[in-house]
Amino acid sequence: MIDQETQLKLQAYLDGESTSREAGEIVRLLDSDAEAQVLFNELRATKSLLAGNEPERKLAEPREFYWSRIRREIERAERSADLLSAPATTTWWLRVFAPASLLAVLGVFVAVSLRSPENSVPMLAFGEGHEIDTPLEEISSFTFRSERAGMTVVWVDSHRN
Amino acid sequence: MSQKPDYASAENEALVKAAQKGDMEAFEELVARHRDKIYGRAFSMMRNEEEAIDLSQEAWVKAWQRLGQFQGEASFVTWMTRIVINLCLDQLRKQKRMRAESIEKLDEEVGGVERQMPVVVPNPTERLERSELRARIDKALAQLSVEHRTALVMHEFEELEYKEIAKRMGCSIGTVMSRLFYARRKMAVILAGLKREELQ
Repeated sequence: MIDQETQLKLQAYLDGESTSREAGEIVRLLDSDAEAQVLFNELRATKSLLAGNEPERKLAEPREFYWSRIRREIERAERSADLLSAPATTTWWLRVFAPASLLAVLGVFVAVSLRSPENSVPMLAFGEGHEIDTPLEEISSFTFRSERAGMTVVWVDSHRN
Repeated sequence: MSQKPDYASAENEALVKAAQKGDMEAFEELVARHRDKIYGRAFSMMRNEEEAIDLSQEAWVKAWQRLGQFQGEASFVTWMTRIVINLCLDQLRKQKRMRAESIEKLDEEVGGVERQMPVVVPNPTERLERSELRARIDKALAQLSVEHRTALVMHEFEELEYKEIAKRMGCSIGTVMSRLFYARRKMAVILAGLKREELQ
């Protein structure tokens, strides 16, 4: 029986993938070995039967239906690509101004919260009849204590007139 | 006022050029012309209708995105079939990982049943209608293992060289040769109309 290496060399010769030295060996083998000839013929016949005879398949889906999904995917991918490419061109200012804006908002909030009542105009005007009940006449305070964090925070708000 | 191009009668090359400039209608015409071929190649690889449809559509999406890379060295259809083949190979790799099969465990590397099969020569002169022959080939392909079928499809239908197949399949040239050899031997038996049971 022909060994595996020779079988593969026969095939490589058939496919035109042999080196010139291997091709010479195979030609000599085919001249002298009937078993090699039979195997070679089988491989060649199979190759020739397959050539140009790939099974044909027809899509059952109508053209429009098949295309619509492709188009949707293309458009979706293009939208995603637009979003991904946006940072390089349009959002540099967001990176600069977003933190600054956040800090400014926090600053205003803190300033308003701590502003003394003598020189301020309240941000929120309470309607008549509303009162803020505080333990002290002039001051409202809230205390937050966390045993776990070992922390106590006292928030002091000025009393509105 | 410019006249709308007649896509249906345009050559492939003209449609490709138009599509490269962003003309989606031209691209749709290319899809319509070649969708069966691309789907058919995907089916040859996957042997599953739904997967073949999904992968063929994915191939068209990728083609649109990479149209700028198409230089026309090969035909547009060849370029398309390479895209769908690569997608199928990726999908087969995923499935293989899921099955947790090892390439080294395959029969082909240690010498399987096919080594002992008697030689049969399918008769090319046998008068078979082409459709009948293709149906027989289709049936035979379905009986091959994924690895054998993939090697066979890429060599016989896609006409890739051993080296190129090895690169795409992520294996050695020797493995490709071995897979191709056993795939052909199995095909010979099936195409000759022999029943495997008779050989065992």
